[in-house]
Amino acid sequence: MGKCRLSDGKTRTVNMKLLHNDYLHLAVRLLIGGLFLYAGLPKILDTMGFAASIYNYKLFPSPVIGLTAAFIPWVEVLAGIALILGVKARGASLLISVLLVVFIVLAAISAIRGLDIDCGCFSGVERKANWVAIFEDIALLGCTFIIFYLDRGRISPIALIKKINNSAKKETLS
Amino acid sequence: MTNIQDLAANPSSKSNRNKIQTPFLWSQIIRDSLWIAVIAILLGGLSNYSLVLKSIDGALITEIQQKQLSDLKSKAEQLYPGISFIDLISAKKLYDDKIALFLDARTVPEYQREHISGAINLPIRALVLGEIELDNVLPDKGALLITYCDGGECDIGLELAKELSKGGYNNIFVLGEGYPGWESAGYPMERPEL
Repeated sequence: MGKCRLSDGKTRTVNMKLLHNDYLHLAVRLLIGGLFLYAGLPKILDTMGFAASIYNYKLFPSPVIGLTAAFIPWVEVLAGIALILGVKARGASLLISVLLVVFIVLAAISAIRGLDIDCGCFSGVERKANWVAIFEDIALLGCTFIIFYLDRGRISPIALIKKINNSAKKETLS
Repeated sequence: MTNIQDLAANPSSKSNRNKIQTPFLWSQIIRDSLWIAVIAILLGGLSNYSLVLKSIDGALITEIQQKQLSDLKSKAEQLYPGISFIDLISAKKLYDDKIALFLDARTVPEYQREHISGAINLPIRALVLGEIELDNVLPDKGALLITYCDGGECDIGLELAKELSKGGYNNIFVLGEGYPGWESAGYPMERPEL
């Protein structure tokens, strides 16, 4: 529950149940998980292209470019799968939050330096490293916080399997 | 206060279910994150073993630059078939013979930081917006012009060549390696800000 001031000047308690809704958590998990899976898979298939995107930022030495291009796409894909399945979702959302913070910092540095470069976020989709990308990433960061703090993983394929198993056990016992 | 015994006795009731939350354990969350990260490192390391080695050797950046240059050339072949590229050695020969005029397509701050010695700054944005009159800057339509920007990763050198071609200039080349290639070859350059 939360309080807010309405247009008639009265402060009323507003129901914040929506933020605790299991279906909202599922939708956010599917959105973020799907997005990172979509972002990571093409990078795994074209690691060199992703390495070129990192090189364009003109911030990193060769070993950092190579290691980042090799590992980050796999982190994106595995964290995306974990969110979709609802397995280790909080850990996955923490990793994705860290990635998003890094993306935001890099995009801000590029925007301040006036670099007109692609952010390298999605292969085949042009998305510039500018203030728009920063605001979008902040919105995604908000979504990961919902998963991190509020999601209890009640609706997920794993939870469904557990439920079926439990009901099967109960039937066997009875 | 929530009666724990009551919760334990009837955990499946809707009101109690909302009160029982998954405990927020940082250590568990960090452990889960590390698991995912370790698996990602293993899979990434195995699938990109040669790329990681190249990056440690320092050969990766050269390979990226070559890839970007070949991508830029194929883009030029598709979109601007009339525009040719020139390699560094040929460009330097024309520079030494004082035959060619070098045109820097980058922004004014980038040009002021460093540029090919004797090059003229023609920022592509200003040219497209009509802030620069080509006839005033380059009166000779038959002059040998070489455009450049920041190498294979940028295409504004190519865009400048296209604008010049539209403006009636017919002797234009693009220096694909751009300023970084010229600088790393040790050719003459100016740093006005120093």
